[in-house]
Amino acid sequence: MKVIRAIYNFLVGDMIILVGILLTILVLALINNVDALASLRSATGVILVLAVLAVLVATLNREARAKR
Amino acid sequence: MQWAVATAAFLASVVEFVEAFTIVLVVGVTINWRSSLAGALAAAATLALIIATFGVALVEFVPLNVLRLVVGVILILFGLKWLKKAILRYSGLKALHDEEAIFEETQAELRARGENIAPRFEPFGVAMSYKAVLLEGLEVAFIVITFGSSVASSGTARSLGITSAAIGAAIAGVLVILLGVLVRAPLKRVPENTLKFVVGIMLTAFGTFWAAEGIRISTNGTHFEWPFADVSILFLAALYLLASYVLVTWLKRTKQHGTAGSSTEGIEAIKEEVVS
Repeated sequence: MKVIRAIYNFLVGDMIILVGILLTILVLALINNVDALASLRSATGVILVLAVLAVLVATLNREARAKR
Repeated sequence: MQWAVATAAFLASVVEFVEAFTIVLVVGVTINWRSSLAGALAAAATLALIIATFGVALVEFVPLNVLRLVVGVILILFGLKWLKKAILRYSGLKALHDEEAIFEETQAELRARGENIAPRFEPFGVAMSYKAVLLEGLEVAFIVITFGSSVASSGTARSLGITSAAIGAAIAGVLVILLGVLVRAPLKRVPENTLKFVVGIMLTAFGTFWAAEGIRISTNGTHFEWPFADVSILFLAALYLLASYVLVTWLKRTKQHGTAGSSTEGIEAIKEEVVS
């Protein structure tokens, strides 16, 4: 458990960032590997950028609320 | 020599070297230099072993797409972590000088343990120096391998990329050590937050680019490609820079509103007390 925690803290240390990015990658992997979703492949970059920004806003919002 | 990779690795590594060097410096000044340097050298040897074992395996046997995806995701995670801290500092929600805080905190810890400057090996000093250098050094190794191995498509170009990134990191290390020796004090004057902010933007931009490029796990069908190829990284960096500026402004306003709100509440409470 200590090892997992150390790796988590070393890599990211923030659950919102970790879960947000992993969920985004999961969605993008589906879009890029399932034929029925092929029409969305050209939007991969836009989706990823928007997701990264959304994750950043979410984690900063949490910090700002905690400081109030 | 791939200059973009070397520069990115240089900037990213400077931050890690500054952090590690601060701890080595504190142990050297507070306990003794022998323990501090022994810990740092032992950590460097451990790092060399780790890189020699896993670095080669990573470059030789992992498919490029998978490597790009994994590295891209990890860079996004690293980048967002640093960007978040830098934005919080710029907006005033977090203390600006981490090195100063680390120095004072470590000194207080050592004094609380009753440690004095001693001329012989102190296990605590060696361990502390070892731990700091190993952790920060691993981050540097990570940066070198990820930056170097993800930038090219062939095995030879990957090796060249790693060499370029390693040169960038090595120059960063030498510069930080030289600077530290010259000033002989915690590296307060290095604008750590600016550095972390720039590196956070770069890591997130590189990570976004590589993750999207490597997302195609299967070999059939069409896959996503960035418009303007590698130049997209510059657009991504500009976009994240703009977004960060907006976020800093938003957080500053939120902070001001919070302060104004709490001041008004305080005044109201005083009024109520006076009336009653």
